[in-house]
Amino acid sequence: MSTATRKLDPVAERAIDWLVRLDSGDASAADHAAFAQWLNADLRHQHAWRTISGLLDQPVAALQNAEAVLPGQRRAARQALTAPARRKALRNTAAVLLLVGPGSYLLNRQQPLTGLIADLRTATGERRQVQLADGSTLTLNARSAVDVDFSAQARLLHLRRGEVLIHTAVDHTRPLIVHTVHGLARALGTRFSVRLQDDHSELAVLEHSVRLTAANGSEQTFSAGSAARYTASHIHPLPGLAAPLAAWSDGLLDIRDRPLAEVIAALRPYKRGYLRVSLQAAALRVYGVFPLARISHSPKFHRGDRW
Amino acid sequence: MRAVTSPQPVADLYRQHHGWLLGWLRRKVGCSHQAADLTQDTFVRVLGARDLDKLDEPRAFLMTLARRVLVSYWRRRSLELAWLEALAQLPENHAPSAEDYAMVREAIETLDTLLHGLPLRARKVFLMNRLEEMPHSAIAKALGISVATVERDMKRAVTHCYLASLEAMPQDMADSLSARRP
Repeated sequence: MSTATRKLDPVAERAIDWLVRLDSGDASAADHAAFAQWLNADLRHQHAWRTISGLLDQPVAALQNAEAVLPGQRRAARQALTAPARRKALRNTAAVLLLVGPGSYLLNRQQPLTGLIADLRTATGERRQVQLADGSTLTLNARSAVDVDFSAQARLLHLRRGEVLIHTAVDHTRPLIVHTVHGLARALGTRFSVRLQDDHSELAVLEHSVRLTAANGSEQTFSAGSAARYTASHIHPLPGLAAPLAAWSDGLLDIRDRPLAEVIAALRPYKRGYLRVSLQAAALRVYGVFPLARISHSPKFHRGDRW
Repeated sequence: MRAVTSPQPVADLYRQHHGWLLGWLRRKVGCSHQAADLTQDTFVRVLGARDLDKLDEPRAFLMTLARRVLVSYWRRRSLELAWLEALAQLPENHAPSAEDYAMVREAIETLDTLLHGLPLRARKVFLMNRLEEMPHSAIAKALGISVATVERDMKRAVTHCYLASLEAMPQDMADSLSARRP
């Protein structure tokens, strides 16, 4: 333990014993009398006692105040501070940061694909990176499914479910096209992601550009950094940047001032079972970049219970 | 030729590698704003380093510091998310107001720093007692352990916090706080 580098002096140790004893919930009158005697015996005792009993005054007072306004704050703080998955994920994050250089895909599995036609699927909490026959790289988000249909005319990917990120290999004779029920996204030598939702699809272009054709034939080209939402009949450019929409491919969830409900929605493919969020909490605004890995390792989070 | 205290090496490092480091961090966190903050944090750590004029591989050095900054950033972020998860599980609207939000988050970060490295059960025991003011007997019952174990965990946790708080301050200040002077 890193904190063992400094030795505990006997007076401090005694003060700690007193603190534990007096706040145990069953300290006797004799305990209190003995403590008073110890405290008054030496100035160093008082000094050590002030230091040790006041260790957490500030943060604890802040949480007690919050608790007084809204009950549940102390418990929420304790749950956050003792979430085992968080500690595990942090170790993973630290290890990954040390081992993997820039540009690598974190926590993903590499898998060669030999067949020209294949069904690719990911399970809950799983992300997978696949090398396609033409050298393109396909990354599947959790709970996603893609059919690969390569021919002499075109490289066609049918997105059945979920979300993919594609880094296309150059092939001037065969365009690479991602097909959803809502339309076609044709890569013009590029890196981009497509997400299939119930009632629409989303496109995020990270490099170069993508030609989008809705099922009704309307077309629009999107360049690097832009994003769009499309249905069979409409293409809507999305405000904001494309990069956050594809952050999942690096194992991250990038949230810019969005309601908590949206964060939860993005996390759902990473957990089994139910995820509850109260209406009021759902409206909480969230800002930050979170590692997705910890979600899939969090049984407490899955069950939605308290401990 | 050596000038350990001169700010010149820092300025040189900043001029030559700031853009590169910003790009590297932007790829890591996917957000220019955040990357700019983290770049700043990294150069703040550079100020505390010695022998900057003798660096053979300045980028490797910067990356080492930047990784530490990133680890600490992830730690704060994941703590915040764990807290939001816990809030979301409460039955009613328990989201603190914007003013309270920052204060509570900071308090939780402080506790996390002091408890860093402490085993999970001792963490739980400690927080149940110090934060939620539960008596040892109730903690023992809630966690299914003996009262003696609760006591041992409490002592270990308070000791851990005490030593962590000493680590966080300069040696001379820590010595003056410690009851036994060297």
